[in-house]
Amino acid sequence: MRLAIAEDSGLFRSSLRLLLEASGAEITASVGSGTELLAAIKADPPDVAILDIRMPPSFTDEGITTAAELRARHPAVGILMLSTYAELSYANQLLDAVSAGVGYLLKDNVTDIATLMDSLARVSVGETVIDPSIVRSLLQRKRRPSTIDGLNDRERAVLRCMAEGRSNLGIAKDLSISPRTVETHVTGIFLKLGLDQADTENNRVRAVLAFLRPG
Amino acid sequence: MRLPLAGPTGWPGDHPWLTAAVAAAATAGFSALVQWPVWNQDMDLSAVNLAVSVLFVLTGLLLHREPGQHGVAWALMLAGLIRSLDFVDGWSGPPWALYTEMFGAADRVLGAWAILRYPNRSLLRHQRVFLILLVIWMFAGRALIVVTSRPQWTGAPASSWWLTLDADQSLNNVLNFVSNAGEALFVLVLLVLLAMRLLRTTGLDRIVITPIIVAGLVAVVAAGTSATVQALTPLNGTPGGVYIVEGSLDMTVPLAFLVAATQRGLLLRNMTGLIASISADADIGAVRGALRSALYDPTLELVDLSVPAPGAEEPGDLDAEPADRMVEFIRTEGGSPIAVVLADPVLARYRPLFDAAVQTSGLALQNAQIQAQAAHEKLEQVRASRARIIDATLAERRRIERDLHDGVQQHLLGLAAQVTAAVSRTADPVAHAAFLEMRDGLREVLAELRDLAHGIHPAVLTQGGLGPALEDVAERLPLPVLVTVPATRASPAVEATAYYVACEALTNAVKHAGASGVTITIRITDAELTMEIADDGVGGVGGAGTPGPGTTGQGLANIADRVAALDGEVTVVSPAGAGTRLEVRIPCG
Repeated sequence: MRLAIAEDSGLFRSSLRLLLEASGAEITASVGSGTELLAAIKADPPDVAILDIRMPPSFTDEGITTAAELRARHPAVGILMLSTYAELSYANQLLDAVSAGVGYLLKDNVTDIATLMDSLARVSVGETVIDPSIVRSLLQRKRRPSTIDGLNDRERAVLRCMAEGRSNLGIAKDLSISPRTVETHVTGIFLKLGLDQADTENNRVRAVLAFLRPG
Repeated sequence: MRLPLAGPTGWPGDHPWLTAAVAAAATAGFSALVQWPVWNQDMDLSAVNLAVSVLFVLTGLLLHREPGQHGVAWALMLAGLIRSLDFVDGWSGPPWALYTEMFGAADRVLGAWAILRYPNRSLLRHQRVFLILLVIWMFAGRALIVVTSRPQWTGAPASSWWLTLDADQSLNNVLNFVSNAGEALFVLVLLVLLAMRLLRTTGLDRIVITPIIVAGLVAVVAAGTSATVQALTPLNGTPGGVYIVEGSLDMTVPLAFLVAATQRGLLLRNMTGLIASISADADIGAVRGALRSALYDPTLELVDLSVPAPGAEEPGDLDAEPADRMVEFIRTEGGSPIAVVLADPVLARYRPLFDAAVQTSGLALQNAQIQAQAAHEKLEQVRASRARIIDATLAERRRIERDLHDGVQQHLLGLAAQVTAAVSRTADPVAHAAFLEMRDGLREVLAELRDLAHGIHPAVLTQGGLGPALEDVAERLPLPVLVTVPATRASPAVEATAYYVACEALTNAVKHAGASGVTITIRITDAELTMEIADDGVGGVGGAGTPGPGTTGQGLANIADRVAALDGEVTVVSPAGAGTRLEVRIPCG
């Protein structure tokens, strides 16, 4: 897999590069800001660009504006946002800027190399990935009785997997059930939550997240 | 500051002591002369008469210094002279007996007039009618007695000048009785009038006239008693002691006038002392109290004109007052009015006293205004410095959060990534296990560090504002929170305060109120940020410091403190069993 990195912390950038190369990835660019990244990959776009959410010059949401610009210039390049913020509002901002082939991952999770590589692979094929710890914390909340409480345990497990951006096949593998059963559960969830059955795979995640958002 | 006892009247102001000495000597000489024959017979009586005359004349002189009291002053001086003249019949010359018979009581009439009038400028109608009737009765009665008698019948020498028309002993006896009885009746009425005056007078007037009225009552009783004794004893048989006692008691009248004059001086000194004692840190209420007690006028009102007062104290009402109130404006040196005094019109007679009090009050009030102004400026300085401190503290927290995020956190993340890389590259099982342990430890540290940085200052608040920040807080709570926040941004300090207040209120709603839902509604204008946080919990939260069954008092106190630091306001509506609503208003800019 061919990757480009934009990360202003030199130590983290070099460590990440080391880690990714050790896992068999090819790093085509490793720079310290969004503008440098856009310049570096202009001629040779990678499969996925890894962006730090907070970079110079503004140190606010530089990563998100870079993501939007990157998607506009190179629609085929997947985007994985690395962040230290565990708040959903940042993930929402990213999803508002870029729809499919995008991921929001906590930087802590780069220590879980399998999750990191899995996320990169899924983003590169157009799936949407949200950090599992964020999804978990959302699902742990006690929601209104009328909504998520109406789901049974199995459906809730499927929903969590959906929220993490997995495909039906991935969910089947994860939960050790047949893909057909997963489809039944997904239909059940959509029915119970009143969601549109015709949505694509990625819109499923967005619909789930929209449901999970407060209010 | 010169505070004259009474207004300058010219005479005898220039050399009061010399004038008094001359007047006293002249009166003493006159008294000694007219009483010359009595002097030989009854020296004590003459001496008493002389003293009474001199005292009356001196008192008259003193009263002459008081504005509006010239009449009383002359009446007292005249009464003093007439007093000695009463005994002129000791001379056996032809006119004296007739004079004594006709005008012997003239000094009493003058005295009664003076006592009834002082310190007013005129008599009341019923007092005037009384005195006119008294004069008519006395002179008509005495004239009738004279024209129906011979001088011997009254104990005068037969050679005295007399105006006998028809000497008739029995008619004369009847007239004598009627005249005396009528005069006795007048004496009783006078006693009543004096008592009424005493009872009806208020304030300073009462303090001043009490000794005079009391002395008047004593003198009237003494005169009445003396007249009764004279009527009951044979001609020329009245013991001299009666006259001595009467004369001595008469002396209380001029002495009472002297006491009154002295008391005015004492009042003035007391008053200035009293006003001075409150002038250091006086507010309008303290000055009003001091004026009331110093001027003996509990009805006195002092209205602050520097602050427009609502309702009854509008200037329109002031205009309606003067009919029965004395109105005096207190002004600054520049002439603009500070306050207005509404006082008992009696005080018009104590103008120097009143003016001094008003002047001192004016200084005290101006002083208070200057102090208030200084305090206001000080407060503004403190406010500005507090705002700077709040901003600086907030900036410092943001800097620490940034440093943690960009420095320590990135560094640790780099180490964590290196350790992870090392895990996959080492074949040694012991080292492999150690790296894994290190990696897990680093993850825990990173999680803690992220919470710490977020607690110091949530970056999302700076970057996204209150909406995203509060939605993220709501995400972590086990109950639905409906957040309505406009996209408009407020200043960092206002946003930070609103954020922490909302967090505190949400914590209370979850931990203490047992709420099943919370709504947060924020509005932001150029002028202020308003936030309403309502839960459906148990309610019953008292004021700050009184923990109810719902949220704790300490939590509310923290909220109130944070909001007050930005000059905002917090209102808590929390009826028992009906949820808690917190309304916060923070001024912007």
